[in-house]
Amino acid sequence: MTRRWTALLSAANALVLAVGIGGLVVHGVDGLSVILALVLAVPLAIMGLARARGRSVTSPPWSDAMAWSTMAVFALALCVPVYGGARSVRTSVGTVYYLHLPALLLMVALALPFATVFIASLRDLFVIRQPWLTLFVVAVTSALALSIGKAAWAGVPFTWENVLTMLAVALPFAGIYAMSASGLVVVYTTTGIFNFAQGAIGMLMAYVDWELVVNHGMPQWAAAPIVVLVVAPLFGIALDRAIMRHLQGQSLVVQLMVTIGLMFAFIALANMIWSQTDAHSLPHLFEGKGFHIQDVLLTWHRFITIVLAVLLAIGLRILLFRTRIGIAMRAVVDNRGLASLAGARSARLSSFAWALGCALAALAGILLAPETADMSTGGALTLLIITAFAAAVVGRLRSLPMTYFGALVLALVMQFSQTFLSFSDRWTNVIDVFPTIMLFVVLLLLPRAQLEFSRLNMVRRTERISSVRDTALGMTIVFGVMVFVSAFLSQTNLSRFAVGMCTAIVALSLVPLTGWAGQVSLAPLAFAGIGAVAYGRLDGAQSDVRGLVIATAACLIIGAYVSARMLMLRASTTALIAVLAGAFGFVAYLNAGSAVLAGVICVPVGAMLAFPAMRLQGLYLALATMAFASVVESLFFTQPFAVGVGELDVSRMKLFGFQFASERSFLLLVTAVFGLCAVGVVALRRSAFGRRLIALRDSEAASVTVGVNILETKLIVFSLSAGIAGFAGAFLAQEYGQLSAAKNFEMLSGLPIVLALVIGGTGYVSGALFAGMFGLGAILIQQTWHISLWKSLIYLAPGLAALGIIQNPQGAVHAIGEGMAWLLPWRHDAKREREELVEATSEQEVGSLGLEHAFTDADVLLIDRELGITNDVARAVS
Amino acid sequence: MSLLSVDEVAVQFGGLLAVDGASLSVEAGAVTGLIGPNGAGKTTLFNVITGLQAPTRGRVLLGGADITRKRPYRRARLGIARTFQRLEAFGSLTARDNVRVALEMRRRWATASYDPVAVADSLLERVGIAGVAGTQVNSLPTGTARLVELARALATEPKVLLLDEPSSGLDEAETDALGALVRQLAAQGLGVLLVEHDMPLVMDTCSYINVLDFGRVIAEGTPAQIQADPSVQRAYLGTARSAP
Repeated sequence: MTRRWTALLSAANALVLAVGIGGLVVHGVDGLSVILALVLAVPLAIMGLARARGRSVTSPPWSDAMAWSTMAVFALALCVPVYGGARSVRTSVGTVYYLHLPALLLMVALALPFATVFIASLRDLFVIRQPWLTLFVVAVTSALALSIGKAAWAGVPFTWENVLTMLAVALPFAGIYAMSASGLVVVYTTTGIFNFAQGAIGMLMAYVDWELVVNHGMPQWAAAPIVVLVVAPLFGIALDRAIMRHLQGQSLVVQLMVTIGLMFAFIALANMIWSQTDAHSLPHLFEGKGFHIQDVLLTWHRFITIVLAVLLAIGLRILLFRTRIGIAMRAVVDNRGLASLAGARSARLSSFAWALGCALAALAGILLAPETADMSTGGALTLLIITAFAAAVVGRLRSLPMTYFGALVLALVMQFSQTFLSFSDRWTNVIDVFPTIMLFVVLLLLPRAQLEFSRLNMVRRTERISSVRDTALGMTIVFGVMVFVSAFLSQTNLSRFAVGMCTAIVALSLVPLTGWAGQVSLAPLAFAGIGAVAYGRLDGAQSDVRGLVIATAACLIIGAYVSARMLMLRASTTALIAVLAGAFGFVAYLNAGSAVLAGVICVPVGAMLAFPAMRLQGLYLALATMAFASVVESLFFTQPFAVGVGELDVSRMKLFGFQFASERSFLLLVTAVFGLCAVGVVALRRSAFGRRLIALRDSEAASVTVGVNILETKLIVFSLSAGIAGFAGAFLAQEYGQLSAAKNFEMLSGLPIVLALVIGGTGYVSGALFAGMFGLGAILIQQTWHISLWKSLIYLAPGLAALGIIQNPQGAVHAIGEGMAWLLPWRHDAKREREELVEATSEQEVGSLGLEHAFTDADVLLIDRELGITNDVARAVS
Repeated sequence: MSLLSVDEVAVQFGGLLAVDGASLSVEAGAVTGLIGPNGAGKTTLFNVITGLQAPTRGRVLLGGADITRKRPYRRARLGIARTFQRLEAFGSLTARDNVRVALEMRRRWATASYDPVAVADSLLERVGIAGVAGTQVNSLPTGTARLVELARALATEPKVLLLDEPSSGLDEAETDALGALVRQLAAQGLGVLLVEHDMPLVMDTCSYINVLDFGRVIAEGTPAQIQADPSVQRAYLGTARSAP
């Protein structure tokens, strides 16, 4: 233990002692409390002894003694309040124990040093370089937990029986989370792929088990091993061979999107095979019979779950530390590059890892299924992935023991809230959010990521950036097409197109963030939701003079900053742009005020995400944004200042007096808005700031050495992305006409947008347009062709298209566009490239030389070039 | 007072002591060499100087001022520039744009007399690769990409230039050109710290050489002194072995 920890520990102990003594004074002395106080003094006494002896407290025997004594004190403190320090009251129903308040405070205050000691003793995994930050986060979390606990206390007495009931549910669930999370960790450490579809695979396997048990009457003790030990591993191996192997070395976005696509595909597959119109359920093992511990029923099913989880932990430990293949899997953790050089061996390893991962998913799914109400494909079984993440992240995606610890903490917290707390109104969904909150907190406590050095860039791509003029032309054409097409559409279709266009703007917000700066964000829809709510609330704000002043001033300042720092223009031009921006703000506020403000409101929220982005690299950042989106989905909309319990009506905006009441006019408005945003975004790409974003993505380390302030750059790009998404949300709100707290801007609904953008091309405006139209297209196909096969194909389509990403990581739209560009009359460069390509392929093959004609000097040069011999050497030899 | 000085810096990664109390200094107008076997800690030392790695112990001083706590981008703006051992160019950008990114961090406003594109082109000309200005760096051979990195480093108008194995990937002629360029830069007042394995280049260009082994400076002096030093020969240069 370091000096800092010892200081913290002794401070905490002193504090606890003071509180305890205070409690004794206030509530009167009783024997047990005195003993408790004496026990608390032990660690302090040890410290005093060490000092007196002239030893440092950080030297091993003394620090160990302090650690163990504190842990013993904590253990004692847990028991004492429940049994001894608890006050009891004899009532007509029997003796009821309740917690003595100072004892409760003591217990909680003791958790602080205990956590400190525990963390300090796990230095290998949690090298805490910023102890003050950690302490701050732990203190804030405990304070919050305490106040939530106090406020939401359901009045259920804290009796031993209730605690046991709670444990009887929490421990099996902890086991299930741990199983699923272990599968996640095993796959990630061996292959580097984060399997978003882990829960979905478990769901699928649970259905296969259902098929065997319920439809074919096989007993569970036969069916479950078949599914877990045969079907699931084969599935995993097939998955690896067909898809996952090709994901190695691809960018994070592609990897994430493929697994997300697969998740949707598996949901669709399950929907197709097992019709969801009737509920399915898997019976508990041994039909819910169990045994009693002190009046509390523990079903065999749950007991077996706990036992299996423990056996699994032991089994995995043996596998990973004692077997050859396990050690090879662990060796790959830090040295993936070497693994790729090892060739065939790594192929066998990855198949094994996927087989194991799927088997674990299947086990978790089969054990969880009976606990769910109806095995719905989009429900708890698939969403197990979120709790699994939270647990896996505690283990930093590397350590199985810590993963188990994380699963245990999570299950305990969730079950504690279920049993002893009750949430209502604005906080109804809090319990759902606990895993994501824990995910967020843990991600923040991770050691700060080192600056990223550039990854091995296996893809050689030549990028041609569109000019602003080309984009403006393209957008005008799109607008023209939309004017034409919208004349023939029905009202429903007009409204769908409008939603598609708004989605395109949401996707556009990700182009600078994910496409250029390389920051993967899974939360675009969350910002759209915040923007939508802001618009709904600000509706009719145009008459407010204060708002007018703020909007004008804000636009003035933003315009000045943007032109000065991001565009590198002349000073006079900068001033001019600032004034124009201010004027724009003025006019915009008077007309479309709320929509613009909705975007502006999202800006600081987006900026907030930049701070975790500084500490977290790639995957962890994506998870943090996912956690953020989940929290917004569950907690934001129910707040009274947002939407609250009922619905919020939203009216269309007015522009220069014209209200876009008709669907067609609104559609054209949104198309025009997309066009303008697209042009703006392309202008950004060609500016100094755009280059800086690409530099940031290519090599953070190098950017920093040429003076790029990474925090400032990330702040700007996150704010910008949030602002655009919020702006889009304002239009979505107008299109829906009504906002309600339930199910408008779900985190899971945002994922297909990111997926579609990756398919279309993250770095391109055309990719964003594709993303918007993709979902629309799918719906239109479904409506036109009334075949039941198409219905499920909608969900399968993203999955299948995701597979296409592997072949075209740059995105489909740009690739197709570039391939056809030579047809356009003004694209001379494309024509030249095509001519060169045609010429190159018609050049004579080296292989035919010497057989059909004699060697000439030109042929010799050709051979030299093929062999890589330079001119100098050839001259020297001849 | 030297331009840049490293004072008893140590870097510890868990149980591994990558740099163990190394001290050296770089003077303005001179080329200082840093040589040593692979794994000696040269790149780690560079990372400490530029701020990408926090030292466990020790200080880094620029012109007498302690910059050990300063963030990397601040050090860059104070005048420290570097190239990387493993290529860290902005692959998706053209060579010209690579340099432009660096230029655009120096100046706020464009003026009538300052055209970033022209300045970028002239810098690429200076390192000898004006022909590939419009090519994406991903498709350039490694040696040329290293020169782009060098031009990019020069674009920040540095006082101290740290070069990490700049000649790998360059052929004989290009290495000679590089040596001449480095001497020119030093003559203009820059302080250059050169890490290299190409001994002729080191001996020709450097006026003072530090030898690093196992994270410690085991010898320092002029090229002649270093070549004659037996401990350096043992650790790195090698001794002539008489045939049996």
